[in-house]
Amino acid sequence: MYRSAARRILPAVCRRAGHFRSKASPVRFSAPIIHPAAFSAAAASENARNHKPNNFEASKISSSSSSSSNEGRKPRVTDRPKAHWQEEQARVLQASLRHVPDYSKNDLLIGWDRLLNFIGQISLGWSDAAMIAGAREVGVSPSIVGSFPRKEAALVEFFMDDCLQRLIDIIDLKEDLTNLIPSNRVAKLVRIRLEMQAPYISKWPQALSIQAQPSNIATSFKQRAMLVDEIWHAAGDESTDIDWYVKRTVLGGIYSTTEIYMLTDTSPDFRDTWAFLDERVREAFDLKRRCKR
Amino acid sequence: MALRSIYRGLKKNNLLSPLCNSCSHLHSHSTSFGYKEVREEEKSQMVGNVFTSVASSYDLMNDLMSGGLHRLWKERLVSKLNPFPGMKHLDVAGGTGDVAFRILESINNVGRRAMRDIHDDNVLDETQIFVCDINPNMLNVGKKRAQERGFGDNKSLVWVEGDAEALKFEDGSMDGYTIAFGIRNVTHIEKALAEAHRVLKRGGRFLCLELSHVELPIFKDLYDYYSFSVIPALGELVAGDRESYQYLVESVRRFPSQEKFAKMIAEAGFDKVEYENLVGGVVAIHSGLKF
Repeated sequence: MYRSAARRILPAVCRRAGHFRSKASPVRFSAPIIHPAAFSAAAASENARNHKPNNFEASKISSSSSSSSNEGRKPRVTDRPKAHWQEEQARVLQASLRHVPDYSKNDLLIGWDRLLNFIGQISLGWSDAAMIAGAREVGVSPSIVGSFPRKEAALVEFFMDDCLQRLIDIIDLKEDLTNLIPSNRVAKLVRIRLEMQAPYISKWPQALSIQAQPSNIATSFKQRAMLVDEIWHAAGDESTDIDWYVKRTVLGGIYSTTEIYMLTDTSPDFRDTWAFLDERVREAFDLKRRCKR
Repeated sequence: MALRSIYRGLKKNNLLSPLCNSCSHLHSHSTSFGYKEVREEEKSQMVGNVFTSVASSYDLMNDLMSGGLHRLWKERLVSKLNPFPGMKHLDVAGGTGDVAFRILESINNVGRRAMRDIHDDNVLDETQIFVCDINPNMLNVGKKRAQERGFGDNKSLVWVEGDAEALKFEDGSMDGYTIAFGIRNVTHIEKALAEAHRVLKRGGRFLCLELSHVELPIFKDLYDYYSFSVIPALGELVAGDRESYQYLVESVRRFPSQEKFAKMIAEAGFDKVEYENLVGGVVAIHSGLKF
């Protein structure tokens, strides 16, 4: 019902043809919430979000400080007086993320009036305009945006670290991964991670292009490497030889291709993307089995 | 004339060695004016005289001395600042308005306008750039240039006469504070930094563009030769004032090094203090964040 009504109202106000697909996407946002299998993931991610200001420090590569209560895995150097401005930057980035996508997924469930309010709002994308809006929301002067070394890239990298942290939290909470065969485990983890990007999917091509810029490519490569390593680790990989590199490279390739496939997927709940993902993972495991012989 | 007599007098006594190169180490009643030692009360007067006499040819001399590079340095400063519509900005010692004009142009840029949303257009009117200078002659030159550039009636540009050590603005009222090639002329740098910290809002940025120290071996010697031989001669030819430009190059040498200045900024209460060297250290942009 939402979809047909949205399709009738939204084309009248959206300015670019490219928006059509993105306007339809809010309807999918309800899926991650009500879909039973993903429900716990969403709930867990909500919990992780609430701990955000503390957990952020763990994943931010450049920071070397911590706040008092956090559950990050990586060891940190405590340096309390200096932690302050980095926390503020984190809060600004967190608030900016809310201005990136077209709609917040929760609002569509709440009601028509909220939906109509949001029609007027123009999505800011991964830009310093979103960061300025985020800074204003947090109550800090928007000048702080100038202090981020590579502005939009800082926002994208923050999001990537945020998603990685949420994935780690989900892995810690879920025990049923051991019931699955390795290929399903890997596929499920990749799916969980890609679902986190679903709300931003209309602006994700912009994020990818930011990550591909020469000045940002080193950090984005490192983040993806960490992500892939984490997924294999959670899937129970214990290889110590050339296999370690091969597995991560192959998974990196699968992840990237699935991510790009997802950009043009218009099926409900990204069904086609998951089918594509399962195919690729199965192929990769078949290839591995064939090579072993 | 007064400069020459003081210079001769002090040269006879040869009071302090050039090794003592930081204002904070000096006796509380005297400060540096280039390589000369002068009483604190006199320094601002003498600086005032310098700028009154150079005001009319200030921009021309800047172009000649830096080979036009000063424009690029100021562009870099403004891009680091990342101005936004609705910004309240204070440019101190910005007499002739170079930095202020660039900030205004950056905010009104057509390209940026294409990316904005509806809210920004209302907010654009709230933009205010204050240009503060202790010397009214420099401000007058700035106002004239503003007219020439078409900013004459722009309500966003406000010219204020004031002292960097005692600003007349309220606490936490500015989003940004810049000082380009001005802080070495201030008698008490710490006071100016403290004032900068006071007027900035939470999240506000402090940016300082200043001539600084070159450490690269051969380049340093070339730079020294250029500073002490070419610049005062240029000053004499073009502005008819060798003494002022001698003061200029000497004050650059007496100014604290990049690291030391960064420490001073941090002591004033700023966070995330960084500096960027341009042209191997000839110019450095120091930046700090206020929380």
